[in-house]
Amino acid sequence: MKRWLKISLLLMPGLGLILIFIGSVVYIAIAQSFGYFNLSGESGFSLEYWAKMFDRLSYSRAIGYSLYIGVASAFLAVIFAYPLAIWLRRPFAGSLFISAVLKAPLLVHGLVVAFLYINIISYNGIVNQLLQALGIWDGPHRLQNDSGAVGVLILQTWKNMPFALLLLSGAVQAIGDDLLDAAADLGAGPFDRFRRVIAPLAVSATQAALVIVFVGALADFSFQVIAGPINKQSLSQLMVFFKGYGRWHDAAVIAVTLMGLGIAGSGVLALFSRFVLRGGRLS
Amino acid sequence: MKRFSLNKMLVWSLFGICVLWLVIPFTLAILWSFVDPSEPWTPDHLLPPVMSFARWEYLWEHSSLKVAMLNSYLLAPSAALLTLTLAMPTAYALGRLHFKGKEAVKLLVLLPLVVPGFVTAIFFTAILFQMGLHAWRFGAILFAHSILFLPYAIRIMSVSFEQVRQNHIDAARDLGATPFARWKVAYFPALKPGVMATLLIVFIYSIEEFAIAFIVGSPNFTTIPTLLFTNLGANFIRPNAAVISLILVVPNVVLMLFLERLLKSANPALSSGKG
Amino acid sequence: MNTVSVQNVSMRFGDFTAVDDVSFTVADGEFVTLLGPSGCGKTTLLNVVSGFLQPSAGKIEIGGVDVTFVPPEKRDTAMCFQSYALFPHLSVAENLQFGLKQKRLPAAERKQRLNDVAEKLDLVAQLEKLPNQLSGGQQQRVALGRALTMRPSVVLFDEPLSNLDAKLRESVRLEIRKIQADYNLAAIYVTHDQGEALAMSDRILIMRNGKIEQSGTPTEIYNFPQTSFVADFIGDANILDATIIGQESEDFWRVSTEIGELLVKSDTPPIAKRLKICWRPENAQFGAGEMNSIEAPITHRAFQGNYTDLFIEMNGVAQRVQWRRSHLEDITSLSMNIRPEDIIFLEAMT
Repeated sequence: MKRWLKISLLLMPGLGLILIFIGSVVYIAIAQSFGYFNLSGESGFSLEYWAKMFDRLSYSRAIGYSLYIGVASAFLAVIFAYPLAIWLRRPFAGSLFISAVLKAPLLVHGLVVAFLYINIISYNGIVNQLLQALGIWDGPHRLQNDSGAVGVLILQTWKNMPFALLLLSGAVQAIGDDLLDAAADLGAGPFDRFRRVIAPLAVSATQAALVIVFVGALADFSFQVIAGPINKQSLSQLMVFFKGYGRWHDAAVIAVTLMGLGIAGSGVLALFSRFVLRGGRLS
Repeated sequence: MKRFSLNKMLVWSLFGICVLWLVIPFTLAILWSFVDPSEPWTPDHLLPPVMSFARWEYLWEHSSLKVAMLNSYLLAPSAALLTLTLAMPTAYALGRLHFKGKEAVKLLVLLPLVVPGFVTAIFFTAILFQMGLHAWRFGAILFAHSILFLPYAIRIMSVSFEQVRQNHIDAARDLGATPFARWKVAYFPALKPGVMATLLIVFIYSIEEFAIAFIVGSPNFTTIPTLLFTNLGANFIRPNAAVISLILVVPNVVLMLFLERLLKSANPALSSGKG
Repeated sequence: MNTVSVQNVSMRFGDFTAVDDVSFTVADGEFVTLLGPSGCGKTTLLNVVSGFLQPSAGKIEIGGVDVTFVPPEKRDTAMCFQSYALFPHLSVAENLQFGLKQKRLPAAERKQRLNDVAEKLDLVAQLEKLPNQLSGGQQQRVALGRALTMRPSVVLFDEPLSNLDAKLRESVRLEIRKIQADYNLAAIYVTHDQGEALAMSDRILIMRNGKIEQSGTPTEIYNFPQTSFVADFIGDANILDATIIGQESEDFWRVSTEIGELLVKSDTPPIAKRLKICWRPENAQFGAGEMNSIEAPITHRAFQGNYTDLFIEMNGVAQRVQWRRSHLEDITSLSMNIRPEDIIFLEAMT
């Protein structure tokens, strides 16, 4: 009994505070989405905010758009990181330098990344100048806030690829040389070695990379506000918008949506990557 | 032989891309921060026609940069110390005691990393409103930061506590050491790099944190990231944004490189991302 | 016919020469062991044969075809790794069939080969398990089985027993040899364990500093080492500096050594006037003899179970004698003799 008490006391300031803080944040988000904790009017259970939100076009479009950014960013980051992780698996002259440069974006703040990007693609920026100098474009083009959200995807990939690389390198490096030698000795060429040995053994790292990048990009606010399409809104953007007008219940509906999509999407991505990397088997 | 030269080509092309990837954007940012207000940098000039520290001086004198820096650099060390203090008991329990549900505790500790930043920020503000504490911005942000970065602190410190060797403690006891002497000889050396790493990582993350500072602090509490955000949005003046970007990124890159070394010496598994 | 032919192979890494102009062949069904201390180049040589390394010079032929620059996946070799290198995410059955699937063999044939190997190696009950659910010995057998299902021209073993405990090692030795004979496979076996090499091999190549120091059957190597390195590496040996002082008859020579004059009987003449000679500690004969008698004080002793190591000292030179007799506690000096035929001429002194 005494031991149990001692451990509980030790956990209180760390785990206890985390549970209270995050627990109440999530609790109040869910409660407010159902009409509780009203600051200005009557509190009480109500599905009104959900019902109204479902009718809004901006809501369903934001869901679609955020899911698109989340999924596309996750896949882009992993697709770029995978070949690099395999290439850098064994050290060679210059490999340390290359992996250091590749990981540099981890050190750069997201907002700074966004600034550097819009600086480069600006109306009279270096990309426009270069393409004009090469004679590809006649005049400068407006590239910022492109409607296809290419800018947001570039920023997400730039920022998240190093993270995926870190996770995948760890997994790929943990695969012993002997194992790959054995596969080669048994007749597996480079592609088969990837498909039948590396990919199945790096499943959990790939899942982790996909899920973490997805959750981050799904909830993206700053890249979207600075570099995203003007006619589209991400869920976070919409949520901040509602909060700005004091519409806590609407913001809460979006927050719960965001968390729900995060959990559901992570599950789907994890299962999907496992299915693909294990060569079409789930077990 | 063939593979060797192919690799060399790949290295060089990637090297080139990486240089473009990092060197050009940052060079542009630096150049923009030196553009003198007297003459704009037009596309027909390769370099800004007049270069000076005017923008730096102007922002320092006439914008909220000074306040933002003061806020950020007060907030970050306080958050670092508070987080470390809060993390210690849990880290000790995770690193040195065995109890049922330890794995569950390790997972639950990660919760702040899972909930999207803006959700935490907005509904933390909602709680503050409910409790009537919304005027208490510095304290609120400090509190939120300390909890948000607890997962990192607990993780690093529990690994440090694991690395305290029981035979050092036992040897110290066997040789008649007092509890304080035991702590000094067995715990302190093993924990020191972890403590340094925790302080540094929370410091960096707190300086960089945007969502909480932006939502809880708005409209009149600024930190460096929120200042940059406002300068990137409604009142976008490129040279000003360049100055603030550099003020935000340069000290942190230096600290991060320092942190990387520290983590490597403290625990190789943490820095290689397998932790 | 020779299955494997290694011709003048050298392997250099920068300034370091790991394998230095080595040639040898392995015939069908022959079991050849590369034996040497760590760093002698034996594993590098094996990797050149398997295709993981391309030699700096020389040529590898398998079944009469030049495969020097053929990558391992296209080579008709199968390797048994020291670490076993079993695929941890695949079951035993899938591990055993990995290479067969790469070869795109029909399912029926795969099944037949799988069953054949599983039965021979007593793995039938383990087929659905994952490698980490198996004991060390079972994992070793899966690694062997995975190589054997390929029906390669040559099996390569890279210290396959070094992760097993001593008892298990002896039984797996016999098993490997039996299966290799059943399939009539050529085998190249790398080890640093002299006992393993003596017990298993048809022929041993002793390697040192990237070169082959001596090759021969286990008995040849043991009974007639040509250099002090071989004499010392295989079994125990007392090695002495000797000077030839006369030839007594056709195959008898008289030599002078630090422990006195000795008579040596040798089929081959000594290769120099001043050379090294050796005799094995277990060949000491009890009591004074007609020739090569030695009497010396015992400096220390170590009981080894079925024999006792006695160390004697003559003129400041320590010699080791192995005595198959218990109750030696009360003896303080030893009277013994060495038969002339038990003394072997080694390399010339430099």
